Amino acid sequence: MLQRVPTELKQGSDHRRTVLDVSGISKTFGAVAALDDVSLHLAAGEVRALCGENGAGKSTLVKILTGVYRPDSGTISVGGQPVTIDDTRHAQELGLAFVSQELSLCPHLSVLDNIWLGSIKVPLLHRRSQFRRQAREALERLGAAHIDLDTPAGTLTIGERQLVEIARMLTRDARVLILDEPSATLSDLEIERIFAALTALKKDGRSIIYITHRLAEVFQICDSVTVLRNGRSIGTHPIASLDRAALIEMMLGRSFEEMYPESSREAGEVALDVKDLVIPGKVTSFSVTVPKGEIVCIAGQVGSGAVDIINALAGLVYDASGTVVVNGRPMALGSAARALNHEIMLISGDRAEEGIFRRLSVFDNLVATRLSSYACGGVLDLGGLRRAARALAKQVGVDAGRLRSPADTLSGGNQQKLAFGRCLDRGPPGILVMNEPTRGIDVGARADIYAIMRKLCARGYAILMTSNDLEEVVGLADTVVTVYRGRQVNVHGRQSLSMHRIVADIGHPLESSTEVQA
Amino acid sequence: MTTLAQSKNDTVGRLLNPAGRRKRLLVLIRVIALAALTAVALATPGFLSLPSMLSMLTTMSFIGCVAIGMTFITLSGSLMSFALGATLSVTTVVFMASLPLGLAGALLVAFAFSALITALQGFVIGYMRANPIIVSLAAQALIYGFVTFATGGRGIYPEGGETDILKSNLGVIPGPLAAFLLTVLIGQFILSFTRLGRHIIMIGSNRRAAEAAGIEPWHAITAAYAFAGICTAVSAVLMAARYASGDMEHGLGCDYHAISAVLVGGTAIGGGEGSALRTLFGALIIAVVQGVLLLNGFSTQMQYLIVGIIVLAVIALQTLGERR
Amino acid sequence: MSALTRWLASPSLRPFVLLAVVIVALVAFDGAQGRILNRAILFSVLQQFATLGPVALGLGLTMILREFDLSIGGVMSLAGCIAVMFGAGTPAFGIVLALAVGFAAGAAQGAIMVRLNLSSVGVTLGGLLTLGGMAYVITENKAIGYDRMDIAMQVNDPILGVFSLRSLVALGIFVVAALAIGWTRPGRDVRAVGSDRRSASVAGVDTGKIIIGIFAVSGTLTALAGALLSYSLAAASPVALADALVPAAAACIIGGVSLSGGKGTPLGIAGGVLVLCFLRSGLSAIGLPPYMHDIVTGGVLVVVALLDAEDLQRRLFALSNVSSRHA
Repeated sequence: MLQRVPTELKQGSDHRRTVLDVSGISKTFGAVAALDDVSLHLAAGEVRALCGENGAGKSTLVKILTGVYRPDSGTISVGGQPVTIDDTRHAQELGLAFVSQELSLCPHLSVLDNIWLGSIKVPLLHRRSQFRRQAREALERLGAAHIDLDTPAGTLTIGERQLVEIARMLTRDARVLILDEPSATLSDLEIERIFAALTALKKDGRSIIYITHRLAEVFQICDSVTVLRNGRSIGTHPIASLDRAALIEMMLGRSFEEMYPESSREAGEVALDVKDLVIPGKVTSFSVTVPKGEIVCIAGQVGSGAVDIINALAGLVYDASGTVVVNGRPMALGSAARALNHEIMLISGDRAEEGIFRRLSVFDNLVATRLSSYACGGVLDLGGLRRAARALAKQVGVDAGRLRSPADTLSGGNQQKLAFGRCLDRGPPGILVMNEPTRGIDVGARADIYAIMRKLCARGYAILMTSNDLEEVVGLADTVVTVYRGRQVNVHGRQSLSMHRIVADIGHPLESSTEVQA
Repeated sequence: MTTLAQSKNDTVGRLLNPAGRRKRLLVLIRVIALAALTAVALATPGFLSLPSMLSMLTTMSFIGCVAIGMTFITLSGSLMSFALGATLSVTTVVFMASLPLGLAGALLVAFAFSALITALQGFVIGYMRANPIIVSLAAQALIYGFVTFATGGRGIYPEGGETDILKSNLGVIPGPLAAFLLTVLIGQFILSFTRLGRHIIMIGSNRRAAEAAGIEPWHAITAAYAFAGICTAVSAVLMAARYASGDMEHGLGCDYHAISAVLVGGTAIGGGEGSALRTLFGALIIAVVQGVLLLNGFSTQMQYLIVGIIVLAVIALQTLGERR
Repeated sequence: MSALTRWLASPSLRPFVLLAVVIVALVAFDGAQGRILNRAILFSVLQQFATLGPVALGLGLTMILREFDLSIGGVMSLAGCIAVMFGAGTPAFGIVLALAVGFAAGAAQGAIMVRLNLSSVGVTLGGLLTLGGMAYVITENKAIGYDRMDIAMQVNDPILGVFSLRSLVALGIFVVAALAIGWTRPGRDVRAVGSDRRSASVAGVDTGKIIIGIFAVSGTLTALAGALLSYSLAAASPVALADALVPAAAACIIGGVSLSGGKGTPLGIAGGVLVLCFLRSGLSAIGLPPYMHDIVTGGVLVVVALLDAEDLQRRLFALSNVSSRHA
C-alpha cells in the first residue's frame, strides 16, 4: 500500500524550461493499441526514468520520438516548437539521440566509423582528425579508452559494443538523450562511468530519458519517473516521493496475482537433468534439474548465456557439450531431431526467426513436428492430420476455423499459441524449453499463455525458460537459476524468491567474476 | 481488461487494416489481367486453331518440365539454379552417347546422370549452406568446360531411329505435352501429399524453424535438387529425340525461361510458397502471350521483351500484400 | 596494430597473393619458353581487364551491399547495342547515351527494390529479361556493325606498349571507386548498409538512397564496359555479351567480396579480375584450350563457395568429433 500520496508532476520542474513536450500520443498496430493517449513533459537538465513491464509501450514511445514510427494521433514539441518527426535523420536534427536496446553497430565497420555513422555533422570527406579526437574523448569519458578505434566492431564484446553505442550518442551533442536498457550488458564499473557521464550532461542542461527494469538505478540517478502500463501513462512522479514498493505497484497495477496463476505445488520426479553444460565462448559449466510439473526460470541479462543454454538443450548449438539426462535416458547434444525424439520441444520468443512458418497455414504450423507419425511410405494421411490439428487448436484456444489462414494473419500471441499447440499430444508429457516466450506479446495474450503453461505443468510437463522480464520471472517460476556471463550464480526456490535478489545476482556476481574465455 | 478482449477480436482488426486491403487489390489486379489476356487471345485470329495451339503447347512443354524442377529448387529456399540449362544440354549429349546400350539403357543412364549432377549441387547447398547462386554458376562453368573437353565441342548425331518412339503422340496429345502434364502431376503430388514435399516447403519458409522442428534440411534440399535433375532429364531426352542430336545448344537460355514460368505462376522467389500447378499456370500464360504476340506479327525479340516486363511486374506486384 | 601491418593482413591483399601464385605457376608450366612474361600477355590481360573490370566492380559493389545484380548481362548487351547504333556520327554521344541507359536501368531497379521492399534477386532477374529483350528488339536480333573503324582502333591502340584507352579508363574507374569507398562518407555508408542494414538505418543512414545509388552505379559501369567493348569490336550483338555473370561473380569472390555483405573493396575486386584475366591469357598462351578456363573458373568458384559456406565450421566440427571418437 502506498504510504504517501505522490505529487504528480505536470510541466517538468517549474523553474526549468520544457525541452520535450509529448501530448496525447496514440499508436495502434493492427488490433492492439501499443500506446493510448500518452503524455510526457521533460525539462532541461532532468533525468526521467521510463518504467513499465514488457509490452507496456516504452519501446514504441521511444521509436516515435526517434522517428522510426509516426504516431496515429497526438502532438510533439521540441524546445517549444511543435514538430512532426519524419525520420531518424530529422530526429537527429531536432537534437534527439538514442541508444537502442538491440545493439545497432555494423560489425564490419571500425569502431570509429560506427561512432560517427549516420551523424549529420560528418562532411563528405569523413576522415578528419577532429572526429578521431572527439571519438576518443567520448570513449574516455565512458572509461573505454582501451577500445582501439580501428578494430571492426564485430570483434568487441557485448559490453564494449554497448559503450561504443553510448559514445555514438555522446558525439551527437543532443539535448535529449534516450537510453533503452543500457545497463543490461555492463559491469558495475562501466555502469558507474556511464552514470558519471550522464550526470555531467545533466549539469550541462541536457535532458535524459532512461528506460530500465533495474529499479535500483532509477533511484540512483533519476530525478523523476513516468510509468507506462498497457500502453497508458499511469503517472509521472518525482523520485523523492516514491519508494520501491510504490513503484512496482504502479508498474503492475493490482493484477500481479491475476496475471500469474497458482502453481500446482506438486513437483514430480526429475524430468531434465543437466550437468556441466559447456558452450565454448558462451557458457562455462551450467547445471540444472527440472522436475515434472515445475517451471524453472533461468534469469540473466543479454549476453549472460541463458538463451544459448536453452538453444543447446533444444539441439541447435553444434558445439555444446555436457551430460544431459531426459526422463532417465541420456541424450547427446547437437541435433534438434534427437532432442525432439527425447521430447524436448523449443518455443522461442523470436517467433519470426525460429518458431513460426509465417506464410504457411495454421494447419501446417500445428502439424509441423508430427508428419512422420502420419506418413506411410512417405505419403501423408491428410485426414488424420487435419483431425489432429483441429484438436490441438482447440486445446490452445485458437479458432479451428482458421486452419487454412496463413499464420502471419494471427496476432503475435496467437502465433505463440500455435507453437505451444505443436508441442502437445505427442505421447508422454515432455519438456518445454523456452526463450523469452512472451516477448512482444500484449498483456491479454500473455495471461492466456501463462494459463496454458500451468495447464501443461499440471499434466506432467516440465518447463525450463529464460526471461528478461523480472516481474514475469518472479510471478511465474517455481525455481529461479540466475546466470551472469556464462556462469551460474544462484538457485532460488519459491520461498526465497525476490526481485531484489535476482537483480543482485545477474548484475553483481557473488564470487570474483571469471569471464568466459572466448 | 480491454486489451484481453481486443486481442480476441483480431479477425475484425485484420479485415479493416491496410494489409488486407492491399491483398484484395492484388487479387483484383490479377483477375483483370487474366481476363484481358483471355479476351485478347480469343480475339486473335488463328489462335483457336488446333494445330497452332498444339504447337504452342509442345514448345511450352520442353521448358515446362525444367520449370517444374526449378519450382522445387525455388520452394526449398535456394532461389534458382543457373545450371539447369547446362544440365539439360549435357544430358542430351549423354543420352545420345549411351544409345548403344539400347533405348531403355540410355534412358536410365540419362536420368541417373542428370539427377546425380543436380543432387551433388543440392548436397553442397543443403549440407554446407553454400550460396546457391554461386554454386549453380560454378556448376554451369564446370559442365560446359568438361563437356567441351569430352566431346571436342562437337555434338552427337546418331543415325539410327531408336529414339523415334519418343517423338510420337499419346493419342491426340503430343508426347512432350503428355510428359509435361505427368511431371506436373507427380511434382504436385510430392508437394501436397508427401512428407518430403511438406519438408521442402517448410524449409523454404523458415529454415531455422524447420530445424527446430526436428527436420534435417539437407535431406530435403538434396532431394529437391535431385528431382529437378529428373525433370530436366525428361525434357532432355524428348528434345534430343525431337532434334535427333545431343549438343550444348539445347539448353541455352533455358534457366531464364524456366524461372520466368515459375515466378509468373506466383511462386515466391524467397521460397516456402508456391506449387507445381502454379508453374503450369505460369508456363501457360507465357505460352499464350507468346502465341498471341506471334500471331499478331510481333517478332521473337518483342516476345522476349514483353515476357521480361511481365516477369518484372509479377514480382513487383507479388509482395503488394506482404513484406519481404 | 599500425596502419601498415593492418593493410598487409587485410583481405584486400589476398587476391594479389593469389595472383602472384598464379603467375609463378604459369611461368613454371611455361618452362622458360618465354610465353608468359612478355609485353603481349600483359597487353592481353589489360584488354580483358578493360571489359571485365568495370562489370565486376559494379556487381561487387552490389554484393558489398548484400544484394546481387543479375541484370549486368542485359545492361551490357543493351548499352553496347545503343552505343553502336547511335555513336556512328559522334562516338562520344553513343557513349553518353549508353551510360544514361545504364544509369536509368540501375536506378529504376534500385527504386523498385526500395519502394516495394523487394529482394534484389527477383527484381534484377526481371530487369535482365527486360533489358536483354530490349537489346534484341532494337537490333532486330541481328549483330550491328560499327562504321567507325578509326574509333575501334583508337580505343584499342597500345599506349606505352601495354595499355590502351579502354584499359586506362577501367583502371581510372577503379582508382576513383577505391577513393570513394575508402575516403568518403557515402562510401562508408555503403559498407555500413551491407554490413547490417537495420543498424545503419537506426544510426541515421538513408539506406534507400544508398541502395538506389549503388545499383545506378553498377548499371553505369556495366554500360560503360559494354559500350567500349562494342566500339573496340566494331560490332554489337544482343547475344554476345549476355554471359558476363560467371566471370564477374568469380572475380568478386576471388577478390574477397563476401556474399553476406559488408566485406570487400575495389582494390580486392581489381585483384580478383587480374587473377582471372591472367589465367585466361596465360592458359591460352601455354597452349591449353579455352574449356580449361571454364573448368578452372568453375573450380575456383566452388572452392570459394565452400569456404564462404555458412555451415562450414559446424560440419568440420562434426567431422573432427567423429574422427576423434574413432581415433
